[in-house]
Amino acid sequence: MAAVKPLKDIAIIGYAQARNERQAQATEVQFLFPVINEALEMSKIPRRELGFTCAGSCDYLSGQTFAFVMNLEAVGAWPPISESHVEMDGAWALYEAWVRLQHEDIETALVFGSGKSSPGKPAEIYPLQMDPYTLTPLGIDPVSMAAIQARALLDAGKVTERQMAEIAARSRRDAMKNPHAQVTGEFDVDELLAQPYVNAPLRTHDLPPISDGATAVILATAEKARQVCERPAWIRGLDHRIEAHQPGMRDLTVSTSTKLAGQAAGVGDAPIEVAELSATFSHQEPVLKEALGLGDDVAINPSGGPLAGNPVMAVGLARIAEAAKQIVEGGHTRTVGHATSGMCLQQNLVCVLEGD
Amino acid sequence: MTDTTTSTDPNEPVTMMEYFMSLAYSDIVSAPVMRFRDALMDGRLIAQQCPKCKLVYVPPKGYCPIDTIELDERNEIQLADAGTVTNYTVVTPVQYYGQKETEPFVRASILLDPPGGMLILQDILDTPIDEVRPGMRVKAVWAKKGKRNVDEIGNRSGSALEGSLLGFKPTGEPDTPAESFSDKVW
Amino acid sequence: MASSHEPCAIVGFGQTKHKKRRDDLSLPGLVREAAQRALDDADMTWSDIEAVVIGKAPDPFEGVMMPELSLADALGAAGKPMMRVHTAGSVGGSTSIVASSLIMARRHKRVLTVAYEKQSEGNAQWGLAGGRSGGMGAGGIFAPWMKSYIRGSGAPEHIGWKVAVKDRLNATKNPYAHLQLPDITIEKVKESPMLWDPIHFLESCPSSDGAAAMVLTDEEGGRAASRPPAWVLGTAMRSELGSFPGRDTVRPQAGVECSKMLYQEVGITNPRAQIDVAELYVPFSWYEPMWLEGHDIAGPGEGWKMVDSGETEIDGAFPVNPSGGVLSSNPIGASGMLRFGEAAQQVRGLAGEHQVPGAKVALAQAYGGAAQYFAMWVVSSELQPNLS
Repeated sequence: MAAVKPLKDIAIIGYAQARNERQAQATEVQFLFPVINEALEMSKIPRRELGFTCAGSCDYLSGQTFAFVMNLEAVGAWPPISESHVEMDGAWALYEAWVRLQHEDIETALVFGSGKSSPGKPAEIYPLQMDPYTLTPLGIDPVSMAAIQARALLDAGKVTERQMAEIAARSRRDAMKNPHAQVTGEFDVDELLAQPYVNAPLRTHDLPPISDGATAVILATAEKARQVCERPAWIRGLDHRIEAHQPGMRDLTVSTSTKLAGQAAGVGDAPIEVAELSATFSHQEPVLKEALGLGDDVAINPSGGPLAGNPVMAVGLARIAEAAKQIVEGGHTRTVGHATSGMCLQQNLVCVLEGD
Repeated sequence: MTDTTTSTDPNEPVTMMEYFMSLAYSDIVSAPVMRFRDALMDGRLIAQQCPKCKLVYVPPKGYCPIDTIELDERNEIQLADAGTVTNYTVVTPVQYYGQKETEPFVRASILLDPPGGMLILQDILDTPIDEVRPGMRVKAVWAKKGKRNVDEIGNRSGSALEGSLLGFKPTGEPDTPAESFSDKVW
Repeated sequence: MASSHEPCAIVGFGQTKHKKRRDDLSLPGLVREAAQRALDDADMTWSDIEAVVIGKAPDPFEGVMMPELSLADALGAAGKPMMRVHTAGSVGGSTSIVASSLIMARRHKRVLTVAYEKQSEGNAQWGLAGGRSGGMGAGGIFAPWMKSYIRGSGAPEHIGWKVAVKDRLNATKNPYAHLQLPDITIEKVKESPMLWDPIHFLESCPSSDGAAAMVLTDEEGGRAASRPPAWVLGTAMRSELGSFPGRDTVRPQAGVECSKMLYQEVGITNPRAQIDVAELYVPFSWYEPMWLEGHDIAGPGEGWKMVDSGETEIDGAFPVNPSGGVLSSNPIGASGMLRFGEAAQQVRGLAGEHQVPGAKVALAQAYGGAAQYFAMWVVSSELQPNLS
C-alpha cells in the first residue's frame, strides 16, 4: 500500500502534559482538567469553538466499566459536543481526529489520552490483553514478554546488555530537563550492569516506571493554524499498522508494523532530526530505529521517553506532543512521534511532523 | 454468578465452565471526597458550588464540568439533610455475583432543601413501595454516631452513602408541588 | 455536506445469528462469522480490505482487555491499520461512522468494520454494578426517565406494551433475531414481571451473543458493486455530560442536536415525511416514542401517538425497527451497528422478509451511557436522492 497524501494539511497548534507520577492523589478527571485547559490556552482556540473531540483511555487500567465517560467532565461537554473515544492510546484518537478534519467542515479538534495505572497491578491486568483462550490462562505479563523479546535480540546480536543500559542512562539523563518526567538522574552504566536481573535479561533500568498521567493536543486545519499559531507543527504523514497477535507467529527482533507505518507516513522521504519513540523497554529502541530507518545522527527521546515516564494510554500521544514541541519550541524542521500498543510492539503508529 | 442453564447431570457433556477472575485495585481517595467523608462521619452533607453557574455538586468533584473550572474547599457549602423526592424507580434485583438484594427496592432522586443539591439513587426507608411518589417530603436517616463508617465511600462510589447516611424517610409534611422542581429532575 | 469529501457506500453487510449463548463459537469465531458474511455480500475477499475498525462495549463484559489485539489475527488485520472504538452503547454506530470517515477522507478504498458482544462470556449486570451489591442495571437508570416521559406526555401505559409486541412480531420476519416470540400479545407483556417500574420483563431487551459487520467503499467501489449499494448521505455524533442538575434526561440535548446537524447535512426538513424507515436504538419499549420526539420526528407529546396509531408498524407510514430492533437482539457492542446495517439493507432492498417496500431513505440511531452519547446516519439507495 502506497503512502496516501492527506486531503488537507493539518497542524498541531497546542499541547500539554500532566507531570508523570507513580500515584496521583487526583482522579483521572481531576488531573486531566489542567492539561486540557493548558493545551487550549496554548492554541488560543476557545473551548466552545472546537469542532471535534476525541479521547483515548482504558477501562481495565482504572478497573471501572465506562471509566472514559467520566473523562467527558474534563472536556466541558455542555452544551453537547461532537465527540468520540478509542479504547487505545491517545495517539489513535489523534489519528481519528486528523482523518475527520480532512473531510468534515470543521477547523479544530481536541485530542487527549489519559491513564491512571497506579490503582491496579500491571502483572495481573495485562495478561487479559492476550488471547483469552490460549495465552491469558498462562498469565503472561508484559515484563516477561519483553524479556523474551530482549533475549531474542541478544541472541541475534542486535543489541547488548551494555547498550541497553546506555539507552536507559541516556534517557534518564535527558529527562532531567523534562518537567513532566518521573524517573530522572545521572546513572553510571557499569553500576547499572552490576544490578541483579528482574526478568533476565532485563534489569530494573530496562523497565519503564508505572505512571499516572495525561496528554492533550490541539489540531487545526491550515487556514486556522496560520491565523492563531506562529510556528505550527504540520502533520506530513500519519499511519498505523497492527501485526499478528500470537507471539510465535512473529519475529520479535524486528517491527514489521512500524516499518510499514513508517513507509506509509513517509519517514524516509527526507532527513529526520528528532524521534520520540514509544520504546517502553530499553531494547525496543534499536528495533524501532531500524524499522524507521533512523541513523545515529537522529536524536532519540530527548524528553527521556517512556523509560522516564510511562502513563499508559497517554504516553504515545505524549511522544507526538514532544515531537511537535521540537518543532514549535526547539526550532527543528522534521521530527517523528511514535506510539505502540499490545505486547512486544504488536501495533504501531508513526507521525511525521514538519515546521515551515 | 449462578448459572441456571448448564446442566448438572453428570451424564451430560460439559459445554461451559465458569471461572472467576479477581483483580484488586486500590485507589487513593481524592481531596474533595476525603473532606466529604469527614463531613459524613460528622453527620453532615457537604458539596461544592460553582461560583459561575451556581450549580451544586454532591459529592464534591473538585471541578465544575459545565464551566470547566477547578473548585476547592473555598467553594464548599453545607447542605440540608431534608428534601423532596423528585423521581424514583422500583428495582427488581438481578442475581449477579455479589448482589445482596433479593426483594424489589426503591431508588429515589432527592432534591435537598436550599441551598439545594441533588442526591440520586437513595433508599426510602420504612415506607411501602407504593407510597413513594414525586413530591414526597423526606428527611435523612443517619447511622448512629459511633456506628457510622465511610469505608465504602471513595472516588467511584458516587451518591452511595452506605454506612453513614442510611437513606431517607417521609416527614409527613404536605407534598411539594411538581411545578417547583420540574426543571431540576434528572 | 458542506465540504467536498469522497462519497461512502456500504456494499456488504453481515450478522451472526444472535442467541443467548453462541457456545459453538469463540470470540474470533463470532466476529469472523459476521465479517465473512459481509465480505461475501460485497463479493470481496480478506485481501481486498485495507483497514479494519472494530467496536464493542466495555472490555470487562467479556474479561478481555483491548480485544482488538487478539482479534487482529482472525480479522486478517496483520499488516493493516486497525482501530478500536468505544463510546458506550452507541459504539456500534460510532464505529460505523469512524469507518465511513476513513473512506470520506480518502484514506482507504475498502474498509471492514465489525462490532460484537458475547454477553454469555461475562456478566454485564455485574460489570455495570462494578461488582457491588444493589446494582440498578441499565434499566434502573433509565426507568425514572421513562416515568418522567409518561408523566409529561400523558401517554397511556399500553404504549410501552405495544412497542414490545410490534418489535417482537417484526423479529419473526428476521431469521437472525435472538428472540422469536410469535405468540406475544399485549396481555402477555402487561402480565410479565415488572423489572424496573414502568418496565416489564417483556418490555426489556434480551442479553445476546452476536456480531455485525459492514464493508464500506468509495464512489467507484459503490458504483461497481455487484449488489445495490447504500450511500451514506450524512453522519453525526454528539455527546453530553451524563448528570448535572437541570439536565433534560427525557429529551437529551445531545440527541436533539445530533439529529438536527444530521438533517441539516442531508437536507432533511421534514424527517417524518422524507425518511422512509428508521432503525432506532430501543432497548426498553418506552424509548421508541421518546426518540421519535428526541430526534424531532414527532412533536412534543406526539411520539406516543405515532405508536398508538400504528404509524411505526412495518406497514405504517413511518416504520421503526422492522428488524425487531434491540428489543429482539442485544449483543450490546453490535446493537448500534445492527441499526446502521439494517438501515443500509432497507435502502439496498436486501432486508428480506422485513423489507419495507420501496424504502429509499433510512435513518439509523444508537445511543449510550446515561442517554448522553448519540451516533446517527442517513443512508439512501441513491447518492443524490430527491428528498421531497
